[in-house]
Amino acid sequence: MTELRESIMIIAENLTKVFQQKNGQDLFAVNDLSFTANKSEIVVLLGVNGAGKTTTMRMLSTVLQPTYGKASIEGFDLASEPQKVRANLGFLSGDTGLYGRLTARETITYFGKLYDMPDDLIVERINSLSDLLDMHQFLDKKIDFLSTGMKQKVSIARSIVHDPPVMIFDEPTSGLDILTAKNIVDFIHKCKADGKCVLFSTHIMREAERIADRIIMIHEGAVLADGSWQQFRDLTSLHDLDDIFIYFVNKAKEEEVVDEAE
Amino acid sequence: MKLNKILTVYKKELLDLLRDRRTVITSFVIPVILYPLIMIGFSSMMARQEMKLDQQEMVIYIQDNIEDIDSNMIRSGFEEIENFQVMQRMETFSDSSMIDLIEENSIQAMIVISDSLTIGGYRVFNADIYYNRSNEKSTLAFEKIRNELQDREITMIGDRLRSLNINEEILNAVEIKEENVAPPEKMVGFALGKFLPYLLIILTISGASVIASDLVAGEKERGTLETILVSAAGRNELVMGKYLTIITISIITVLLNLFSMYISFKHILSQAGQAVQNVQLPLGNFALILVLMLPLITFFSAILLSISTYSRNIKEAQSYQMPLIFGGMMLSMVSFLPGFELNLGFAFIPIVNFSLLIRDIMLSNFDMNLLLVVVGWTLILDVIVVLLSIKLFNSEKVLFRTSDDDSLKFWGKSKTNIFSSQFMMLFYIALLLGLYYIGGGWQSKEIMSGLVKTQLILILLPVLVVLRISKTDIKRTLRLNSTKPVNFMLAFLAIIPALIIVAVISQAINLIFPVSESYIEGMKNFLDAQQHGFWLSIFVIGILPGICEETLFRGFVINAFSKQGFWKAIIISGILFGVFHLDPFRLLPASLLGMWLGYMLLRTNSIYIPMFAHFVNNSFTVIVTSYGDKIPILKTMFGGDTIPYWYIVPSILIMGLIYGAFEKINNY
Repeated sequence: MTELRESIMIIAENLTKVFQQKNGQDLFAVNDLSFTANKSEIVVLLGVNGAGKTTTMRMLSTVLQPTYGKASIEGFDLASEPQKVRANLGFLSGDTGLYGRLTARETITYFGKLYDMPDDLIVERINSLSDLLDMHQFLDKKIDFLSTGMKQKVSIARSIVHDPPVMIFDEPTSGLDILTAKNIVDFIHKCKADGKCVLFSTHIMREAERIADRIIMIHEGAVLADGSWQQFRDLTSLHDLDDIFIYFVNKAKEEEVVDEAE
Repeated sequence: MKLNKILTVYKKELLDLLRDRRTVITSFVIPVILYPLIMIGFSSMMARQEMKLDQQEMVIYIQDNIEDIDSNMIRSGFEEIENFQVMQRMETFSDSSMIDLIEENSIQAMIVISDSLTIGGYRVFNADIYYNRSNEKSTLAFEKIRNELQDREITMIGDRLRSLNINEEILNAVEIKEENVAPPEKMVGFALGKFLPYLLIILTISGASVIASDLVAGEKERGTLETILVSAAGRNELVMGKYLTIITISIITVLLNLFSMYISFKHILSQAGQAVQNVQLPLGNFALILVLMLPLITFFSAILLSISTYSRNIKEAQSYQMPLIFGGMMLSMVSFLPGFELNLGFAFIPIVNFSLLIRDIMLSNFDMNLLLVVVGWTLILDVIVVLLSIKLFNSEKVLFRTSDDDSLKFWGKSKTNIFSSQFMMLFYIALLLGLYYIGGGWQSKEIMSGLVKTQLILILLPVLVVLRISKTDIKRTLRLNSTKPVNFMLAFLAIIPALIIVAVISQAINLIFPVSESYIEGMKNFLDAQQHGFWLSIFVIGILPGICEETLFRGFVINAFSKQGFWKAIIISGILFGVFHLDPFRLLPASLLGMWLGYMLLRTNSIYIPMFAHFVNNSFTVIVTSYGDKIPILKTMFGGDTIPYWYIVPSILIMGLIYGAFEKINNY
């Protein structure tokens, strides 16, 4: 039991985020969301656009504050120890841009320093990451002059420079071609092999199917289903993940209707 | 907050900015190149232009109505002026066609010579010179003609005196010799003191604004802000690092500008053949000013950082900076105005205080205590604005502001839209403009009828129209609710202490910013019922504003801010009411009155109370000004020109009691 608890890296309990809308009504972007993610596990948050994936991940990365509920990463509470949460977390999304006027090396060094890493360790880390991601030939070029694939590699190196135990990817492959997207997928498998906990969000069913150990389906801010692909198939006796997803959406709707009728 | 992280952020931002060509050009290259170019280029060009102008052929027409020896002498005098082509005026040319020729610069001037006799029997030559002041060439021709005529006059007077056997020396009764005791550096200080503050303030703002907009709004635009927010840097460390960056670049910009200006200035002086060694620049004063620039720079940097944090992108940041830059320009120009001296009041007005202080320092004539007040106050403001920046930086609403957040929905489907604060501000500004442009015109024609029209058409009508169009429930919105009679009594009782408080505050303001005598006189005349008749005055000054202004502010405007909370709604609508009077001297008293009226409205939930109080207040003012010295009680209270300051203490106590009574009677 203790071993199990130690292996849990992300705990989200009743996470809720309410946005005030223009017309004065509340929008529950994330509604009472609870889940966990373990060491050496790739958990995919799967949902259509606007389901609340990005908001959930932004809360976990301390950029947004939950309206209700709490969560912890590596045992550090989001609200009380945000600095420690961020130090144990690597975050990568399509929205996280890089400073175009800095070189790749300067960028990675800057983030390393912000994580309080000593200078010699940063140098060492840049070397090993460059080996891993094959970045040596553009390490001292300004980011503005790099190709999309190269930028993607710098972003990866930036997010993992401090070797965090937990990695969060928010739709990192959206808008990328297959080759650059493959960089990321390879990297995610590498993370898992290194014993990291990976939380990955996407709206593409195939992608989820391919890399997930476990899938958490999210719809309208709430969890629809939580389990492995195999479990879903056994439960619904459907084969296609698209069909499975729609099955769960319809089921949730029916329950809602029943709730209202009562 | 860790210092080493702040430094990490600071170093990275500097590196990033120094690699940006735009920053380098605006902050470093332009100051270094621009001043020499402008000053040296401009001055040499001006010299050349003047020379060219001087050598240009000028055509002058003369119409000599006398044609004797003396007038011939005058004419030949003109012909001897270099580059003058003197022509005889043809009879066929009409006056107007001649004037047209001058206006279109075909000829530069026309002289009409005639003569007349003085009462003493002496002959006077009249030379009427027609020229075009808006044209440089024509103006130059005029100056040459005038100099020639003045020389001629001296010769003629000499001739006349000699013919009377009087020595010319008799004209020299007073010999003026000018002896300027100001040392040269003071002269320089006087000249520089006027425009240096303006220059320094503008340089600071414009230097800092470019990079400030890039530092946060630019990061939002490029999508790097989220990257940095998920890293281990604390928000406070990010703000401080960015803040230090803006300050550093501003300081460098200001120093470079001043250095470049100094060099160009010296160059021009030496070119002009001036002995540069003799013009001592007051370097000690310069050094003091540079030190003083630090708090000013940090203040501007903090404001610009807040603006940048609030804005979604660089363009938006720049548009929010515009009012700051224009406001800064206007306020800093105060050093050009004669008669403005730094005093305790001005020491608290940002920008104005520095403008006046720098001028005083350039004159080596400043008050150390005031200097400390200015610096201390600016540092306090500094801290406040920096805290604001940090607060903005910690607000996820600001950092993730989406574009539809501030799109204005004017007449949306929802009826509540007319009470959005944005709609209300636009509505208010529109009314203010109407008041200023249309109402001002009406009132200057005839004050009483102008006021009636203003109140009914510009204030009451728009509110009713808007409420009607939006199909709002007028009775509920305006709070046309009946209320307990005792509320009327309380409102009435509050008027005298309220008036006393307002009078004491006005008096105190008057000490710091003296109101001109003519203003007080005008105000008194306006309020004096004997000018227009008692009942008319009560109607126009008491009843109409009581109904119309209350409908606008307490009936309509305050609703838009009630979402912000009870007191915020009262304060905001009160200030708007104060500004509405378009009179800096009445801003504070009117705002306070507005807040009190707003308070009574929200507590009693009936607009009749503030209407009644407004009416009583204004009417009472009319009575006091008109009959203050005739009614014994009023005379003891408001007679004489000043009210003792201690009156404010019992007044506030009474107001407190009335406030308590309002709370209790209306169950709060």
